[in-house]
Amino acid sequence: MNSVLLINGLIGGVVFGAIYALIGSSLNVLVGVLRIINFAHGEFILAGGFLTYVLLTYFGINPLVALPFAAVLFFAVGYVLYYLLIPRLAHSDEPETASFLLMFGVSLMIVSVLTWIFEADVRPINFSFDPINVLLYTVENGYGEGRDAKVLVPTARLVALAINALIIVALTWFFYRTLPGKAMRAAIMNREAVQIVGIDIHRLSATAFGLAASLAAVTGVLLTLVVPSIDPNGGADLTLIGFIVIALGGLGHPVGALAAGIIFGLVEQVSNVMLPQAAAQMLGFMILVAVIFFKPSGLFGLERGR
Amino acid sequence: MTDAILSVDGLVKRFGGLVAVNEVSFDVPRGLIVGLIGINGAGKTTLMNCVNGIYHSDGGRVVVDGHDMTNHKPHEIASLGVGRTFQIPRIFHRMTLIENLMVPVLGSEKSDAELTDMAEACLDRVDLYPLRGNNGEELSGGQQKLLELARVLMFDPALILLDEPFAGVNPSLCRIMIQQIEKMKQDGKSFLLVSHDLTSIYRLSDQISVLNQGEIIASGTVETIQSDPAVIEAYLGN
Amino acid sequence: MQRSSSPEIEIDTRRADTVRRTLWYGLVVVILIWCAVIPVFDGNLSLYFAMMMWVTLATGLNFIAGFTGYMPFGYVAFYGIGAYATGIAVKVLGMSVYLAIPFAGVVGVLFGLLIAPTLRLSGIYFAIVSLSLAIICQRAIALMPEEVTGGSLGLNLGVVTVREHGYYAMLLILVAALLTASWLARSRLGKALKAIRDDAEAAEALGVNVTRSRLYAWLLATLFPALAGGTQAWFTGALDPQTAFDVLVTAKTVIYAMAGGLGTVLGPLVGTVVLVWVDELIWRAFPVLNNFLLGAIIAALILFAPRGLIGSLTRRYPRLRRYIM
Repeated sequence: MNSVLLINGLIGGVVFGAIYALIGSSLNVLVGVLRIINFAHGEFILAGGFLTYVLLTYFGINPLVALPFAAVLFFAVGYVLYYLLIPRLAHSDEPETASFLLMFGVSLMIVSVLTWIFEADVRPINFSFDPINVLLYTVENGYGEGRDAKVLVPTARLVALAINALIIVALTWFFYRTLPGKAMRAAIMNREAVQIVGIDIHRLSATAFGLAASLAAVTGVLLTLVVPSIDPNGGADLTLIGFIVIALGGLGHPVGALAAGIIFGLVEQVSNVMLPQAAAQMLGFMILVAVIFFKPSGLFGLERGR
Repeated sequence: MTDAILSVDGLVKRFGGLVAVNEVSFDVPRGLIVGLIGINGAGKTTLMNCVNGIYHSDGGRVVVDGHDMTNHKPHEIASLGVGRTFQIPRIFHRMTLIENLMVPVLGSEKSDAELTDMAEACLDRVDLYPLRGNNGEELSGGQQKLLELARVLMFDPALILLDEPFAGVNPSLCRIMIQQIEKMKQDGKSFLLVSHDLTSIYRLSDQISVLNQGEIIASGTVETIQSDPAVIEAYLGN
Repeated sequence: MQRSSSPEIEIDTRRADTVRRTLWYGLVVVILIWCAVIPVFDGNLSLYFAMMMWVTLATGLNFIAGFTGYMPFGYVAFYGIGAYATGIAVKVLGMSVYLAIPFAGVVGVLFGLLIAPTLRLSGIYFAIVSLSLAIICQRAIALMPEEVTGGSLGLNLGVVTVREHGYYAMLLILVAALLTASWLARSRLGKALKAIRDDAEAAEALGVNVTRSRLYAWLLATLFPALAGGTQAWFTGALDPQTAFDVLVTAKTVIYAMAGGLGTVLGPLVGTVVLVWVDELIWRAFPVLNNFLLGAIIAALILFAPRGLIGSLTRRYPRLRRYIM
């Protein structure tokens, strides 16, 4: 019985962990390349989720079809948003703090619009695959004589996990094999130097902003597959998870976010089934504080002077 | 043993695999100006940062006025009477000029009114008095260098580390700067002067050391350095 | 060398300081009298209480964020701990609420001392750790036995405390915060802190003990939110972990302080009064899109007046500095 719970926790951990990894990756692009503390990141994700909800509920469009649509749309939105908001931040004394406050304002605006349109209720996402669940594993007589314990996973979660994995592979390829990806990694290390070698930092930054918004929206679409409901006030929690993941993984470390996301997902989901809820949530934050204190460059970060 | 205000012995500083300062030893005798020259990247600023504690050195000793201050904190070294300026001026840009000058004397027992008088006098010495109520950010680059010098004057340290004091300063401000350095020397201050600009350093220094790739390749008076073939090679390349 | 100045200007700088001080203390007296008579005329007590509390919080935040450049995103932790220290002292320990508030202040400062090592971290890491600690506090309080903290339902103080007294306690704390701010701005500690904010390395090279000065600012910054949190619990008569540790408390505090201008004494006061008032107006006129407009105002402030109302004004017109503390 306990082993079934544990297995469920582990599977949930991987599914949620992959989502967290994706949140971390997109936030990492903003924090790393642009030095933007995006407090509206959770709302970007929610926006993707609500787009899926609208397309599904009013137009009957499958979330899997909504996914590429959301990706392109939000890339464009992010690209434009960059030019509207970010260049002016350079005028402030502490651009990082200013970016946090700016994006906090943006997040208030998004939440306000979402609750205006959809009201403050949690909306259900009525979508499932056939079959609804996949039987992964059976423990014979797991619940006593004649009652087998079954490990069932919703198909939608497995689909989300598979797509998630594909996106992460594509993202890794982008960062390590393409020119814009390499330029972004270079910008993470040294923003000034990148400009000297002839890269248009504004175009690169706008692309990075577009990419991050696009990834966030895609995360929102995938999240509707994992959790079949959406709450306009759930953005702050998602933002927080993003920051935990990048702090664990190391700021601006593209692969670190991945492992950190999975680790955080596993810890959270397993402790959810093992501990009281408040204690489980505490654990994640305590790990975070410990990591920052004892290894400020993240679990996978390279030691840097500073 | 000579009476040295600063004595550096076998100092080493590494950045990863790169040895930026390699077993450097030299003294700054009391009341003299020691010039440290070398091309860009020779390790001059790194050496200065090790002396005043901004960098943690990887070996060797720094002795200030008889006290071993190796790897002490910058504020502890400063409190022994070591002042410095920076290559790129590091002023407090959101504080007024008067407030800027108060920073090094915050621990003083003098009253605020006395300190304000002192600050005004120091600003006057570098011709910045009329701007005393302005914020640091409202100064030009050259004026910021003078403000740094005024801050050192205020501090009244026994040893002053000057990092590229003439870089990016126009000739008339440069003249004020040289005047003030000479005046402070008359008052008995000692200097470690770092520059890659030879004209001014030859004019001011009593002794010169030449740093190349983290090592001192020559030391002596201006005349001996000027005719040293190793120095010419280091500057003109091999 | 000839003196390059006329003696008039010299008198002028000294007089400017007197002018600034007179204006500031005059303002504090006006605020004191104004807020003191509100209950007599049966004004909107809750609004004025909120205003006083936010000004106190924003002024307290200014001690660390404005004077040293650290941005504690978990600032609400001290507010929540103050509220709970008061609640527990009154309900469990049976302490009088008049003693419970100073007790809350002490607890807040002790907690600040406990987590002072976080000041070693910089930038975003400090922000994230600070935020995480606030969340840990919230969850820890929810986990504690119900006899002590009331669990997730919280505590009810209404029966044992008088609301109007809570109002006047807040007024006293507000005045204390404002006077501390003006003292700090003129003190040597304040100058050390501003130097650290502008360039910590240079300040240290000039003999400023950065670690110690920062610690003092931090402890001052933790005292006022703890007092304010305790008094808020007193005034409203109830507290629970959700509202006592609401991240929005930090966010609003930061925004109010920043809107007026961090690093100035007047800034957090002006920023809070203007924004709380604007918020109230928006709330009445557009109940639906209230937060949208608030968000838009914040974004506009950051983009077009990054130093806040006061900071941007004195940057544009440096002469105003002689009137503004």
